[in-house]
Amino acid sequence: MTTGAVILAFNNEETDYVTMAAWGARNIRRHLGIPTSIITDCVDTDKLVDFDHVISANAQTGGTRYFEDYDRTVTWHNAGRTDVYNLTPYDQTLVLDADYVVACDDLKRVLNATQDFMCHRYALDLTTGYQLDNLNKFGDYNFPMWWATVMMFRRSNTARYIFDSMQMVRANWQHYRDLYGIRQSNYRNDYALSIALGIVSGHTLQVDNIPWPLYSLLPSVQLSNVHEDSYQIQYTDSQNKLKQMTFSGLDFHAMGKKHLEAVIANPS
Amino acid sequence: MGAVYETCAQHLADSIRQFHPDANITVVTQDLLPHGDQGGYVNDWQMFVASPYRQTIKLEADMLIASPIDHWWTMFEHRDVFVSTGCRDFYDQPVTTRRYRKFIDDNQLPDVYNAITYWRLSSTARDFFNLVRSIFENWDEYKQLVKFPEDTPSTDFVYAMAAQIMGPELITMPFASYPRIVHMKRYIIGTQTENWTQELVWEQDPLRVQTVAQWGAFHYNIKDWLS
Repeated sequence: MTTGAVILAFNNEETDYVTMAAWGARNIRRHLGIPTSIITDCVDTDKLVDFDHVISANAQTGGTRYFEDYDRTVTWHNAGRTDVYNLTPYDQTLVLDADYVVACDDLKRVLNATQDFMCHRYALDLTTGYQLDNLNKFGDYNFPMWWATVMMFRRSNTARYIFDSMQMVRANWQHYRDLYGIRQSNYRNDYALSIALGIVSGHTLQVDNIPWPLYSLLPSVQLSNVHEDSYQIQYTDSQNKLKQMTFSGLDFHAMGKKHLEAVIANPS
Repeated sequence: MGAVYETCAQHLADSIRQFHPDANITVVTQDLLPHGDQGGYVNDWQMFVASPYRQTIKLEADMLIASPIDHWWTMFEHRDVFVSTGCRDFYDQPVTTRRYRKFIDDNQLPDVYNAITYWRLSSTARDFFNLVRSIFENWDEYKQLVKFPEDTPSTDFVYAMAAQIMGPELITMPFASYPRIVHMKRYIIGTQTENWTQELVWEQDPLRVQTVAQWGAFHYNIKDWLS
């Protein structure tokens, strides 16, 4: 059985996701010891040397989105994620966002799990230690959200049904917006995944979650690199005080792409 | 029990029979009250006398049962009395808002919901319902002991007082995660209006709300929903 990671990377006006993914691939190899494939429309071979497989695909936009760290609205090429099941070259696949930082081997536990599909249920704000309550649900009636940032799946009926359902949601996005009371017009993978998990679980919402939270840094948090796998963050707390924290050996989701790009461009 | 409640009770009985065709179910109407109609909530204690069973589960009329519940008997068999505590939303998450429970919190009473109450014929159950009766019938005196803004107490409040007096460990199972009702009140489920049936997407048979399959006891509150 083959196991590997897959990162989707489609650059837009502001963010070089491919370079981010290449840096991520090196971290994945170092900590998890598995190959990494990229699904991209990039043809610059110099940028693709870190990947074991380069899978060509056209960018599929889910709309435009305002990114706080860039202070502007950019195109969001997020709609191709539902195709991962068909595009992955592996029997067991770890799908990671390009802005997910692998800094330890925690995800080996997910790879060793017997489940056919796993993802995170809760995101946790690293600066407060509390769950991101407003992001862990969506729609007017607070449907629980599962995060598509990290997904592990095996070739299996369950995983196929989940990705097929995500495609159905994407293809009928307006209908599902109405059904779940989603005000944003943009298609979003996290929402599609959550809806799909609802469908595949027989609408019971009994889902195999990754048994720890998705540690996350909001876009407003300043991120810098102390040394390999060690990061420093600066942020303003709820009392408007400037705070600083250093952590090592912890995977996290860097929602602020701009800061992560700076870390990758200027490693310490 | 008014005509609306009788219709609700019939739907509840039908929902139970869907999973347990042989279940013994009695719908207690006003004409069956052994001590006559004393008016509204005050009749509640009479259920203890009216029940023809050695072991009884009393359910509020405006509920549906959405899955098998025969395992409840196993849960209850070592208890003389059980009154459910806490409730959940239609996502099966424990309800955290205290908006509807201020009177419970103000008086530091157990967070009981009489919507699911069990008893076996026992001295504990008799004492409990005698106490419930006493509180209802002597409310003017009991009212001096507590902070309660209304003239007439709710059944939940009276049950909570009775549970506190007899000992919550005897009457409730505070660490039990079930059975708990799904409560469809506005500030629990986050709807814009009280009438969720006109705002949320729902299906019957099987019962789903906003696509989510329901299980256990579903307290829909909107009395004319199924009429």
